[in-house]
Amino acid sequence: MRRTCTGIIAVLVGVLLLPALAAAQSDAPLSPWKYYPEEARTNAGPGGPAPVRDLTGTWLGESSGGGVPRLVRPESPPPLTPLGQQLFDQRIVEGAGVSVADTNDPHYRYCDPFGFPRNMNDQIRSMTITTLPDRTFVLLKFMNIWREIWMDGRDLPTKFSGRGADVHDPTYNGYSVGYWEDDYTFVVETTGMAAEETWATETGYPHSVDAVVTERFHRSSKNDLTVTTTMVDPTLYTRPVEMGEVYFRWSPRQTFFDFSCVPSSVQRYLEEMADPAGTGNSDAAP
Amino acid sequence: MKTKMMMVVPFAGLAAMASSSFAHHSASAFDMSAPVVLKGAVVTEFLWINPHPLIKAEYTDEQGNLQNWTMEMGSTVSAQLVGWTRTALLPGDVVTLYVWSAKSGAPVGRFNKVEFDDGTVLRDSQRGADDGGRSDAGLRQ
Repeated sequence: MRRTCTGIIAVLVGVLLLPALAAAQSDAPLSPWKYYPEEARTNAGPGGPAPVRDLTGTWLGESSGGGVPRLVRPESPPPLTPLGQQLFDQRIVEGAGVSVADTNDPHYRYCDPFGFPRNMNDQIRSMTITTLPDRTFVLLKFMNIWREIWMDGRDLPTKFSGRGADVHDPTYNGYSVGYWEDDYTFVVETTGMAAEETWATETGYPHSVDAVVTERFHRSSKNDLTVTTTMVDPTLYTRPVEMGEVYFRWSPRQTFFDFSCVPSSVQRYLEEMADPAGTGNSDAAP
Repeated sequence: MKTKMMMVVPFAGLAAMASSSFAHHSASAFDMSAPVVLKGAVVTEFLWINPHPLIKAEYTDEQGNLQNWTMEMGSTVSAQLVGWTRTALLPGDVVTLYVWSAKSGAPVGRFNKVEFDDGTVLRDSQRGADDGGRSDAGLRQ
């Protein structure tokens, strides 16, 4: 209870401080090229009704600094099959008690691309959504990558190995198709994600190349967008996996800082900083 | 810079109550009980890189031994939100560095804050509060 009350007080203090801080900054000119997360924080409320069948624009997520919470994290523990458990057990996840020097996370060690679906549930900084007549693009600021979602009625490929004209090689972001379920809900289905190279979540959940991931982008107002994700992967999971609900807020200025992990930089970071720092375990420290 | 500092200081007091769940990397490798203070350290390099900018500095201890330190900060994006730029530190700057040192004993650590001669202070976004909590709690959930 004490912690709850303290947290509430902290939030209230923060909210009360924001106008004063905004005023303190008002004498400085704002650059159209910069990102001001305090603006996103003060842009409260729905902002008006959601436009019909329109997600276009820049959206701020959990790690934007804009005060955007995540709604639901992926279910834990995951309902793994024995093979799924075997793969999961091979992953050493960086986090509490496990340092960067310990982990075998391919992104943290080598800046490898997250791939989908991890790039929609980890490092959720900001995204821009834009459209062509036959496609929707999700442009993810973290690592500056894009997803291409076809809306021309094509079917998803189903075969990702072997020989033949019907084989499609897996890709980091897979193959995606989308359609409007109603005027405010855009549904995306994706399969064919490269499995050996990527994790499905920052917590090391595996996925197979045959996994089918369904996302529901629901825009409830001008300012509010929720993405709910489910993964069906019978090879590795005993039932559909709830991958959580990620919440986005409309970015008032439609800007955000660039963020890319650069392989040469991460190698220097590991060699000069993270690996010398070691594991935090005195028995294993270098 | 001064204006930005007006934002940072009030938020530092809230940091103890802020969640650390948004830290890019954990602090398990570091001794977070008290920062090491490197008074009169000379910046040799400031690497504005991801996943973490690195501060490299020479420090001469009370016995006259030269130490070469490396310390990491929050990401460039997070650091920008609390007043940092690519050129906030320059080689040759003489400063006081506070760092949560590695348990391994190597002269590396998690950066806490830097004090300049003119009294200006710049803090880390994630571990910049005096107790090791976030200094950007007001900009985070």
